[in-house]
Amino acid sequence: MKKRWRWVLVIISLMVAAPLLILLLIHFTPEPPVTAMERARKAISRAEYAHARVYARKLYDEAQSLYDSGVINWQRQNRRFIYFRHYDAVADYARKSEAKAVEATENSSSTSAGMKTRIREKISKLNKLSAEIDTLFTTYPLDAEIRNRISKGKFMLKESEVLFESGDYYRAYRELTDSEYLLSASYDHASADLKNYFKAYSTWKMWIDKTLSDSKRSHDYSIIIDKFSRKCFVYLAGKKKYEFNAELGTNWAGNKRLKGDKATPEGMYRITGKFDRGRTKYYKALLLNYPNDEDRKRFLSEIENGTLPSTASIGGLIEIHGEGGKGVDWTEGCIALKDSHMDVLYKLARKGTPVTIVGSMTDLQSIMNR
Amino acid sequence: MKNKVFLGLATIAMVAVLSSCGKKPQVEIDATNAAITAAQTAEAAVYVPDEFAAVQDSMKAIMTEVQAQESKLFKNFGDVKTKLASTLTLANKVAVDAAAKKEEVKQEVDTMMTDIKAVIDENGTLMKKAPRGKEGAAVLEAMKTDMATVEASVTEAQSLYDQGTYMDALNKLKAAKEKADGINTDLKDAIEKVTGKRPGGK
Repeated sequence: MKKRWRWVLVIISLMVAAPLLILLLIHFTPEPPVTAMERARKAISRAEYAHARVYARKLYDEAQSLYDSGVINWQRQNRRFIYFRHYDAVADYARKSEAKAVEATENSSSTSAGMKTRIREKISKLNKLSAEIDTLFTTYPLDAEIRNRISKGKFMLKESEVLFESGDYYRAYRELTDSEYLLSASYDHASADLKNYFKAYSTWKMWIDKTLSDSKRSHDYSIIIDKFSRKCFVYLAGKKKYEFNAELGTNWAGNKRLKGDKATPEGMYRITGKFDRGRTKYYKALLLNYPNDEDRKRFLSEIENGTLPSTASIGGLIEIHGEGGKGVDWTEGCIALKDSHMDVLYKLARKGTPVTIVGSMTDLQSIMNR
Repeated sequence: MKNKVFLGLATIAMVAVLSSCGKKPQVEIDATNAAITAAQTAEAAVYVPDEFAAVQDSMKAIMTEVQAQESKLFKNFGDVKTKLASTLTLANKVAVDAAAKKEEVKQEVDTMMTDIKAVIDENGTLMKKAPRGKEGAAVLEAMKTDMATVEASVTEAQSLYDQGTYMDALNKLKAAKEKADGINTDLKDAIEKVTGKRPGGK
């Protein structure tokens, strides 16, 4: 009987002691920094969604690296005997990783937002520049290399718009930077060329003033051709009476130097011949006295200087004629008007009517400011 | 004697139960990692980036839980196993979705490539009909330059397509198509201005 009670006591003691022992074991088991690691993981995940891998790469990589170090350290600790484990370093890695990931998220958000704004501004700026290039230079005879650069620059601008729409700001920005370089450099080059062309503006202005004052004094018709705006203006007694669109020689920018250069001459001329239908290839024509004395003087001086070959010819037969209205510059150097406009001009013009051809009636600054 | 046998059996049963739950599910982990690698190979990061990031994040969370269990005196990977099973399913789905999206983008590139080549051909024909008078005009020269740029871009897109980078090819073609369509409209406007009749086609 006594033996049986002893057994019962032993069993009861074991039943009480065992859970107590287990509880004690559990209590003294080092606690791993699960929450800290979870927080770090979630912070990295948020950074990933904020595209920190792209916009805050360094910070993101640091956060990821700290997290990985935490995991490795945790694994190392787990391999040790349970009561010899220390998770302080793991917790430290986790805290640092979380902080870096949060910083990466903030940095990425502000960088991408800033980049988005900058890209939008730059796209708008470059579209304006592209439109300005079109306005100033579409019909301006630029050399092929500059045309290629402008074309490539515009295409890259279009590509960056597509990338921007797809949310790929990083590559959109890269494309934009290249586009800006191409367009700006081409614009600067072409502008310098244009500025050079407009150097003669004071002379043109003088011719225009003289033509208008002569028209006023004589109460007669005068014609002014503005090459840059492709316009033919008719004045009566110094007052503008008509305005027609005009088409010029392919290589219209710059003064005519020799036969076959496809340039439209600049100077003060007079009508020397009128050719009605059937007497000209181009509907109706008004022949000008090109080359005038000034043109001859300049031509001879260029021959003497050697800037033109001695075999060069000055050319001639510059007319205002019909069959225009094509919307492009196509003549050999003449001025082409629509037939209906040519009818009007032909009727009012006579032999001796002054025709002044200038590079532009407006100064370059005013054109640029338009 | 009977009691001793009973105690022994109970101990064995308890150890068996605890050890079956406490073993790290390495096979399942390896299978899930392999599925994630397969999704990565299927370019999930390019074609379904958000879905792929979600799978990667799930796996990372599971591995944290694995380590947490490894730190315990009495391990229990039951919950981990359940999560691994659903992540494996998700990773397989992401791989399938990525392949489907890639095929969709490829089809889009194919269609766009056909369309753009048709516009380029039409522009070539229109260019011959465009008003040029005695000499080629500056406007036409500018258009020709733009056409050359578009054609160069299509060649680049074709090369990207051949390398299997369909998304980049698509972005390039979108820009090229817009440009080619713009030239097409300009050419038709120029021809209409001269002939009074708009050329047919696109």
